[in-house]
Amino acid sequence: MADMKIGAYICQGCGIGDRVDTAQLASVAKREGKAAIAKEHEFLCNAEGVKMIQDDIANEGVNHVVIAACSRRAKTEAFSFDGVCISRANLREGVIWVRPDTDEARETTQEMADDYVRMACAETKYQKMPEASGEQGLTRHLLIVGGGISGMTAALEAAKTGYKVDLVEKTGKLGGVAAEMFKKYPDKAPYNVLADNTTSAMIEAVNANGNITVHLNTSVTKTEGAPGRFTVSLATESGASKDVVVGAIIQATGFTQYDMGKLPELGGGKSPDVMDQLAFEKMVKANGGAIKKADGSEAKNVVFVQCAGQRSEQPGHLPYCSGHCCMTSIKQARYVKEAGGDATVIFDDLRTPGADGEDVYRGGQEAGVAFSKGKVSSVEAAGKGLKVNYTDKILAEDSTIDADIVVLATGMVPNSGPNPYVKLDLEMAEKDGNADLVAKLKAEVEKAPPSILNLMYRQGTDVPHLKHGFTDSHFICFPYETRRTGIYTAGPVRRPMDAHQAIEDATGATLKAIQACENAAIGRAAHPRSGDLSFPSFRKEGCTQCKRCTVECPFGAINEDEKGYPQYNEARCRRCGTCMGACPVRVISFENYSVETVGQQLKAVDMPDEFSEKPRLLVLACENDAYPALDMAGMTRQEYSAFARIIPVRCLGSVNTIWITDALNSGYDGVMLMGCQKGDNYQCHFVKGSEIAHIRMSKIDDTLTQLNLEKERVQTYEVSIADIQRIPQIINDMEKLIGEIGMSPFKF
Amino acid sequence: MSEVIATNQTILVVGGGISGLTAALEAAECGKQVILLEKSPSVGGRVSQLHKYFPKLCVPSCGLEIQYRRLKANKNVRLLTMAEVTQISGEAGNFTVNVKVAPRYVNENCTACGECEKAVGAEFDDEFNYGMKKRKGAYLVSNMAYPQRYVIDPRIVATDDGAKAKAACKYNAVDLEMAEQNLSLNVGAVVWATGWKPYDAAKIQPYGYDRYSNVISNVEFERMLDPFGPTGGKIVRPSDGHAPKNIAFIQCAGSRDQNHLKHCSRICCMATLKQTTYVKEQLGDNCKSTVYYIDIRAIDRIDDFHRKVKEDPNVTFVKSKVANIVAGSGDNVVLKGVDTEGYNRYANEHDLVVLATGMESTVPAGVLPAGIVINEHNFIDLDSDCGIYGAGCSSDALDVNRAAQNATAAALRAIQVVNRVAGQEG
Amino acid sequence: MSDMNQAMVQKYRSNFLKEVEANVEEGTWVKMCMQCGVCSGSCPLGPHWEHPQQELFMMIRAGKREEVLSSSSMWMCTSCYNCIARCPRGLPITHIMHGLASYAKRLGLAPKNQPTSKFGDIFWDSIAKNGRVNELKIGVSLYFMNGFSQGIKNALASRELGMAMMKTKRMSPTEYFGGHKCKDLSGIAKMLKKAKEFEAEHITKFGE
Repeated sequence: MADMKIGAYICQGCGIGDRVDTAQLASVAKREGKAAIAKEHEFLCNAEGVKMIQDDIANEGVNHVVIAACSRRAKTEAFSFDGVCISRANLREGVIWVRPDTDEARETTQEMADDYVRMACAETKYQKMPEASGEQGLTRHLLIVGGGISGMTAALEAAKTGYKVDLVEKTGKLGGVAAEMFKKYPDKAPYNVLADNTTSAMIEAVNANGNITVHLNTSVTKTEGAPGRFTVSLATESGASKDVVVGAIIQATGFTQYDMGKLPELGGGKSPDVMDQLAFEKMVKANGGAIKKADGSEAKNVVFVQCAGQRSEQPGHLPYCSGHCCMTSIKQARYVKEAGGDATVIFDDLRTPGADGEDVYRGGQEAGVAFSKGKVSSVEAAGKGLKVNYTDKILAEDSTIDADIVVLATGMVPNSGPNPYVKLDLEMAEKDGNADLVAKLKAEVEKAPPSILNLMYRQGTDVPHLKHGFTDSHFICFPYETRRTGIYTAGPVRRPMDAHQAIEDATGATLKAIQACENAAIGRAAHPRSGDLSFPSFRKEGCTQCKRCTVECPFGAINEDEKGYPQYNEARCRRCGTCMGACPVRVISFENYSVETVGQQLKAVDMPDEFSEKPRLLVLACENDAYPALDMAGMTRQEYSAFARIIPVRCLGSVNTIWITDALNSGYDGVMLMGCQKGDNYQCHFVKGSEIAHIRMSKIDDTLTQLNLEKERVQTYEVSIADIQRIPQIINDMEKLIGEIGMSPFKF
Repeated sequence: MSEVIATNQTILVVGGGISGLTAALEAAECGKQVILLEKSPSVGGRVSQLHKYFPKLCVPSCGLEIQYRRLKANKNVRLLTMAEVTQISGEAGNFTVNVKVAPRYVNENCTACGECEKAVGAEFDDEFNYGMKKRKGAYLVSNMAYPQRYVIDPRIVATDDGAKAKAACKYNAVDLEMAEQNLSLNVGAVVWATGWKPYDAAKIQPYGYDRYSNVISNVEFERMLDPFGPTGGKIVRPSDGHAPKNIAFIQCAGSRDQNHLKHCSRICCMATLKQTTYVKEQLGDNCKSTVYYIDIRAIDRIDDFHRKVKEDPNVTFVKSKVANIVAGSGDNVVLKGVDTEGYNRYANEHDLVVLATGMESTVPAGVLPAGIVINEHNFIDLDSDCGIYGAGCSSDALDVNRAAQNATAAALRAIQVVNRVAGQEG
Repeated sequence: MSDMNQAMVQKYRSNFLKEVEANVEEGTWVKMCMQCGVCSGSCPLGPHWEHPQQELFMMIRAGKREEVLSSSSMWMCTSCYNCIARCPRGLPITHIMHGLASYAKRLGLAPKNQPTSKFGDIFWDSIAKNGRVNELKIGVSLYFMNGFSQGIKNALASRELGMAMMKTKRMSPTEYFGGHKCKDLSGIAKMLKKAKEFEAEHITKFGE
């Protein structure tokens, strides 16, 4: 790259020119910011202003651009210049809109603006243009684990999009649970009829597709690499093994029916005529639609018990609703009606949502299936048959119903691999010497299921669980926000769902897997920093092999080599900077985001002396939530302290404690960290950023004590993007607090 | 407006709500060219009007911020706001789409400085707040509006206010001469994601939505929680602005009902459970919530949210479809019906009633080409080869999570079509 | 009548719902109820129902034959059609109530001296005999339905109404003795006979 040449462009529009001395800003940029060019413009974002900047880039060799105008969130289309580093000084939302237009305020407002120009110049001085590493090429090839309806859908959809697929199935045949179905619901309205099972046609389509290679009786013994360059070892039961190279992975390992043997009170395991939904389905299919008891005689009365061992806090039960069981029982009850028998569904809430659901419910009623809102207390043998005892909730009385067969709608248990974090937690507990926790976690590790993907990742062999063993995304708006980049789960292993939803889910997951391959090939980050080309690198000579980065990475992106040095895998990295925040020796950085790009900003702030009554508050704000909230505070003219200096950070997890120490040493009177909600209901899109920051900051007390500073000077907050009024209040409270405890003595 | 370039390898996404945004971005991040159309002045759709999502109780604008950042960063997506599809003809791989673009009267020079808003006097019902509040004739849809650009209400264009707005703008952004534009786009595949609208509660005659000021809809209730909304973030009775003490939530208000919407709208149970948490958070023990329901459909792993709400002593559940609502003492109303769990007839007085109005699909008649099947619930049936794919609530009544998931699937189907075209042409 | 009842008990031993579906007008709709309760809540006479509509449907499904058929509930229906208008599943509830009442009566299970039932009998007798309704006779019969002294009490309680009606010539005491008849009495009789034949045919067909 050519020599750095900074061009600083200061906008006078939107009242900036009226409220602050832009000539002074230009002079600050030149004198202190070392900008080679500093220009004011009355309307920087219009065509003429943009052209002025473009001309300087083209003709004057400006390669670092400082835009001192509105927020980095505004006018992004105008201020987007290829091939140069851009830093934005937020003079509008961050200065004039949050300060009163009064004579008294003028001086401090100008100081704010001066500082933001200094900070932007400092930032860009330490930025480099990120370029893709070229670590991996384009691999248009997916691995799909699981040959049920989700896996087959993914395979067919990927093939249809022009991708090659290796489809791995543990058993000797494709089709999974879907193949066992006697009939299914139609894919289109009206849904109140039953359709033939089309799984066999799907299996044929998979087998006939030249882009799909099916591996039966096969499991994954090893997965290495990163999106775009996974090497996966496959082994068959007979011992043969094979390596395939794929760009991304979809895990569609389905579910196992909950063990009804755990429900003896409902007759589970006690009579062959008490069965789960899957067993009933198989029986009807085997008999070609006839409903037969275990002894071969015809069953006239079938009772379906919903929520068997589900939606229950009882130990050993499933605390969730499996979603599909009401629909499934209605379908099965219709088999009974079609065979000339009677069917009763005993339910608590009949959960048949959506357009298809209500059609299904009505269809069941039309077919003569009886529905009873009730709670079954027991199922017992009575003569040759069974007796179902229940409370009829409508008639408010205890009742009994005779049955030849009782079907228990037990739930879905996901076929996930072991949760990697249990082992990691165990590792930590052993390190901490916490015996109780060690024992507990050891027990959990022992009963963990075998690995499915056998990932050779520092952070474990499989995709992390979210809840109840499901590997779902934690985010409402991003159902595929996986914690293992390039590996997506689909179908009932992700969350409980029926076959129709599993098909939709697998189709979506296929897109994400394809996208992961395409992005990896050009070095672009996956969601949520999609498109980001920057990635972490480290100075090996400085590294102490402390492993904090490899352990704290929320995405398991970093491995360790034999010597314990971190191995970054660009395509696995989500570019949050948690590793950078973790590093005690500060050797990790991104091209355009580093210990220096932030550290130099906070140092660039002009620090008034102790007696000025002008404290300085450093605010490190999560760029996705706290920073936009501050912008909107400006838009809605909420005032906050003129002493705050705000720096957006990728994630609070990227905050290195050196910034805090540096800030305190430079004379800041308060330091505020604003991140997202932490804990079980975390809202940090980098999973643990906010939580880690809280933990790190709880340890900063030592530093404060050493410096003889009050603990209250450094505070960490959980905020949301909606805290448009609250955040200014928090800042103002800090200013007040500083007023009470006094200025920092560290101003030189 | 600069020229809109589209080819039969372009994917058109209609609707800029959570489903359309998702479909457009997912396709674009696979390297595809996408045109995203939005009828209103800002993308974001219904979710931008929500206070929180269930069951995490997180803020929708957090996810929207990510989506907008993706949108700003991705040059593969061309966004057109105030644009409506009037006709689609052709077939998979080769559609001609007629688009009507309404004038915004504000061009890209706009810096969102807000001077025009200050200058104009006329006020209108604020659509973003379901008319519960007024907005100026020059306005920004919301704090999160994207594009962050003002709009001039067509009703002020020819008035003094129009001239005032123009005069107030230092940046030549107000253009009162702007006229409606008609575009014809050639695209390969279409993702239709125009979402839903709340069922018109006034049509549920026995509930008196149009007769009693303290009977409101759930989307209106949601707006009350916005600090910048009609009540400044306070849960209040519309009649007197006082905090309610005894709220009724009526489920299936227009859903699961052949007189209204035959389908179950899926989200309303969870939406109500969520809203009871707002009540708890803001009013604590000073307000009771009663949920009148047929079945609580807190499906799959979010059932624990349902159980948590059930444990709240201030929330009561009554299995009953409320029969009718009559005037009570003062501005209160009386709900009449039968609790069917054991035949308990009730006439319960409440000081605020929230109707969990259903989701009505907005798939229009006569716009999509023949062969695209719109089912009896007005959702688009899936036909994997037809080239036009319903996404989100144009395909079924879906929650946000399922809508995003479904939109991702729709995006892949659209990609398959344009890939096929590319293969044939390449 | 009780023979028929016994026959039905035999025929539908295990399934009252099937019996209702086969024998009660619009009975096939009973299974479509989803127990929302809007009918029960919408009924203006609701509080007077021992078992409201939606509960009757559940009782039918639960096989509570005696309780349902001998109940006075469905006799409370005044045909206001509120329930039909509001039922989200489109059940013709009013018709089902009348169907149930009529079926119960056919089987001889309807409650004795239930006023609506009694009124039906008196009304029918009157119209079948004269080809038109003799309002005075119906009124008197209803007043004295539960004995002479109760009848006097009932009559006294309504005396002002009666006097007013006589004054405005809306009621004439002479009507009690004979009263108006329609012109073609034998025609009416023939018509009713034919109707009864149709009904019997219908019931047999329905019953199968």
